[in-house]
Formats: sequence, structure tokens, C-alpha cells
Amino acid sequence: MKRIEIFNFKSPNRAPLKVEGFLFGEESNGPSVAIVGAMSGDHINQLYVASRLVEYLRQKEEEGKISGKILVIPAINSYALNMGETFWPLDKTDINMMFPGYAQGETTQRIAAKLFEALQGFNYGIILEGRRDQGMCLPYVKLIKSDYEDIDSARDLGMRFIHFRPYSPIETVMLQYNWQLWGTKALSVVFGKNGSIDPVSSEEVHGALVRFMVKRQILDTAVFEGFVSNIIEPEGITLLKASRAGIFDSLVSCGTTVSKGDTLGRITDALSGEKLEKIIAPIDGVLTCQYAHPLIFQNSIAFRIASVELKKSITKSK
Amino acid sequence: MGVIEEVFSIDLPVGEQFRIQRCRYTPTGGETLKRISIVSGIHGDELEGQYVCFLLGEWLRAHADKIKATIDIYPAINSLGLDSITRSVPFYDVDLNRIFPGSKNDFLPAQIADGVVSAMRGSEIAIDIHSSNVFLREIPQVRIAKSQAKTLVPLANKLNIDFVWVHDAVTVLESTFAHAMNTLGTKTLVVEMGVGMRLGKAYGHQLLEGILNLMACEGFLDIEPLDVRMPIQSHVGEVAYLNASCPGLFVPAIEHCQMIEKGSIVGAIVDPLSGQTLDEVIAPIGGILFTLRAYPIVYEGSLVGRIFGENV
Repeated sequence: MKRIEIFNFKSPNRAPLKVEGFLFGEESNGPSVAIVGAMSGDHINQLYVASRLVEYLRQKEEEGKISGKILVIPAINSYALNMGETFWPLDKTDINMMFPGYAQGETTQRIAAKLFEALQGFNYGIILEGRRDQGMCLPYVKLIKSDYEDIDSARDLGMRFIHFRPYSPIETVMLQYNWQLWGTKALSVVFGKNGSIDPVSSEEVHGALVRFMVKRQILDTAVFEGFVSNIIEPEGITLLKASRAGIFDSLVSCGTTVSKGDTLGRITDALSGEKLEKIIAPIDGVLTCQYAHPLIFQNSIAFRIASVELKKSITKSK
Repeated sequence: MGVIEEVFSIDLPVGEQFRIQRCRYTPTGGETLKRISIVSGIHGDELEGQYVCFLLGEWLRAHADKIKATIDIYPAINSLGLDSITRSVPFYDVDLNRIFPGSKNDFLPAQIADGVVSAMRGSEIAIDIHSSNVFLREIPQVRIAKSQAKTLVPLANKLNIDFVWVHDAVTVLESTFAHAMNTLGTKTLVVEMGVGMRLGKAYGHQLLEGILNLMACEGFLDIEPLDVRMPIQSHVGEVAYLNASCPGLFVPAIEHCQMIEKGSIVGAIVDPLSGQTLDEVIAPIGGILFTLRAYPIVYEGSLVGRIFGENV
């Protein structure tokens, strides 16, 4: 294992921002993968999974099990992580909205450019992402349709769901889209709840990353088979909104198979305690995401259910 | 007298509603299909537009007989942010101006965006007034995507601003209010002026005159057009960006909105700890310093100024 400095960025008054990577194996031996951890200061789960993976790979390298090249960068925005901020602490910009970066541009554009340069040339790229809302979710693969996406490698994670969808305008400045355009088979694994560590999700993601590396002949070890991934397109997701605001009480957990008519959650008036709403499953499916804050806003998305109806999803076997 | 209306409301969790209000001014004969929307406060730390809304409302109250078509004033889109010095939508930490056109089926910021679009859909013209952020001070200017230049530049020239900046289309800007409204057929101008968290009275009065002039020219007000300034046009020159070469404290050497010569000193980046001057920021071209950093802490790359220089 080589502990390398990806880049170093000076601050007016703080100690320099030092972004480190952990490099395993050699490129000449086989395919390569780069894994990017916390780009935001609330992506604690992503930091945890990445750092745990570093320790796992260190042991595997000692056992001679690395057959390709692996780069893990557990934290990009450690400045934000160290002070409870989400984005770049001075100007609140999101590093993951600055790709492919610009070396002569603003601060986070420069940080993105330095990171992006270090990520070039890898066969595969995996971004460990948190959520961009107040939710928590079952770990899933997010693969955007850039015309350069590679769904076969996404299947090798063996995760239960691959959310496969067109990109939105803002995603054109995010890492996955740009990494794909520059020739790396890039995808994101989205999981957990921002600002916390979920041991079950973390274990699942860790297993998926190891499985991916084994399937792609980067790592030589025994692994269990994962899921035959369900490829879910946007029309396969049913959104359940809270019609009232108040205190939100979820009665289920992500990953639960629900039936039409099941009560999934309740909302009560935050002042009077009056029962305002029961949120009922309108369809059979698997609960993939749920709102994860005790206070809910009117019309917030309380739950997402992935439908397994043939009309609404495309399921393919490997 | 304008009529205050609530155009979007959504319950917050604890005994409060998030709401968007507008003040609607109509001719004595009642509402017209012809409508203009004046918008501010999409970013909660930008207050210049609130002052312009006040000035415009004050003028309309005093000249109700001059109103020929419906005029809507929306001073506070991101009301949670405005009342808490928060640029983005609090709680979600999402830039509202990167979420348009929004959706009824998405999280709160997207629903707010959808509510804004629904309220303003059908307006002939919209003027979206921004300050800069807290870091930069800007002269009054309108920014227009190149694809919209033919339609919007003639309108912008009526606004009594100093600069019209036509820029290349960037995909991410497709998520802005202006792009969403222009796509729906509302000619939407984005004004930037001043600095975040502050208001400048002079800029407010300057833009008020421009809005009155535009409304006179476009048939919203029964007044003679005003004698407004012709803005500098970006296509006749180039914009030079001045980014900090190192971290430190930026100390400007000249005032904002000055004409400067190539090679002159715009400011210095100094180190308070060692007492050293780390770098001098030098003008790479001559022209007008139309952007100047207002917040002194800089990292490498922080924008400290922009100069517009005419082609020679």
C-alpha cells in the first residue's frame, strides 16, 4: 500500500487541506479502479466505508490478493468534515458540482480539477455518495445515461437495485457524468443517511465493492454472490408524499417488502398531538427510501417504493 | 393600491407556513392578460432586489393612474433564507436557483420552484433581481445566455444598467429561474448588482428608473420613456478574471467600478501572521473593474475581480 498525496491546498489560516489516497497493486497486473469517498462534510458513512476498505485492502495486499490497481480516496472535503459543514466552508459551494474542474478557476473548481486529474486513466470509477435530501435509503447503484455508461460493470456490484435514469442538467457538472465522458466506467453507490453511520448499509456496500473488484479481476478472493440487480427506471419508483406537515413517525425500514394497503408511517400535529395522517402503501413493492428527519414538511416525499411490476421496471438476469 | 396575494403556501412542521406573496397592481379597469413580474430574494442573502421592490411599489402607489397592465411584485421568494441570512433554502441547503423548473412531486425546494413558475407563468416579461453573493461587489448588469441574446438584449438596454453580459450557454444554468421562464415564453432578465447582505440605495434608484423605462416602452405604464444610460455591451470586448494566486487577506488598492490601465495594481494579498505581502493582483488588461471582491479572506482561486476591456 502506498499512501500518496493527491493534492495539497493551502488555507489562509487553517492547516493545509491534504487530500490523500491509498494505492494498491500495480496497473500492469490488471484492470484498475478508483473509489472516491466523502466529497461533502456530511458524508460520514461514505468516509467510513472507504477507510474500512483501505484497511481491508491493506490486508489483502499483504496476502498477495491484489491483481489490479486500486486507488481509494476516503475524503476530499476534510475541511467540511472537520467542522460539521456540508460544503466548502468558505463559499458553501459543492465540490461535486464543479467537475471536470478548472485549474484557473475558483477554489472548488481548482480542487475538482486536481482531483479529476488524479482520477484519469482508471478503467472503473466508483463514487460513494450520500443523499442530496433529508432521506435515508437502501444502498443502490445510481447510473446516469450519458451514452458512456456501462451497465454490465454496475451489475457486478450485486446490489439489489440499479437506478438507471437520464441525467439532469445539474448532473453535467458532477463527477459521475464527467468521469464517464473522459472514458472511465463510472457509477455511484448511494447509501445511508447523511451525518451518520449505518452499520448494515456499510457492510452491504463494503461487500459490494469487494465483489465488484473480484468480478472485474482486480482482487482475488472468495466472495458470496450478490443480487441479480433490478434495473429500475424512474417510472418504476412510486413516490409517497406527506400531505400534512408535523412530526413524522416511520413504521418501516428501508428494504422492507410492502403490500398495497400497509401503513408505512404516521404524521401528528407538532403542537396539539392530533393524528393528521397515515401514509398507506398504494402498491406492492420494496421500500427503497424514506424521509429521515423527525419533522416533516407538507408534500415532502415520505417514502419511495420500487415497483416490481413488469410494466414499471426492467429486470434482466446476468 | 396593490393587492397582496398569497400565491404559494406550504405547511412547515411546527405551526407555520412557508409562503410566497406578491403585490399585484392593476389598471383601474381591472386585471389584464398583459403582465410583468418583478422578482427578488431567490437567494436569501441578496437584498438589493427587496429595496427595488419597495421603490417600485412606492412609485406605483403614487401613480396608480399610470398603470396600463398588470404588474406583479414578488420581493421574497426564499423567505426562510431572507429572514435568516441564508443563501440557500434552509434545512435542505439547496440553491433554489439550481432547481428550476421544480416539481410538485419532489422535495421542498423543488416544490417552491414549481410554485414560483406556476405563479409567474403567462407573464410577458420577468425581471429577476439578484445582488452578488457576499464575496463580490458588482455594478448593475444583466446577464444573458447567448441563445437568448436576440430577444433579451434589446430589453436589457432599457433597464438603465451599466453592463450587458452575454455569456455562453452552460448546461447547469438550465436549472435557473430565468432559463425555466424563458423556456416557457416569458422574456426573463437577470439583474446582478451590489453585494450580498447589503443594499446600495444608489443602485436601487438606478434600477427603478430602468424598470419604469422598460415598463413605459413595453406598454405597462402610461408615461414617457425615461432618459436612461446605454449599457456597455460585452460583445465589444473581453472579460478578464482575476483569481487569487494564493490564500490570504485581499486588500483592494482601488475602488470598485473604476477605469484601470493594464498593469496597474488592483490589490494585494497579505499574510496577517507573518506581516508579508504574498502577491499583488495586477490588471491583465485595461478597462472597467466591474467586479471587486468585498469579502477579504481568499483561497487560491478565489475571484477577486473582473475587468471588462474593449477590443482595440
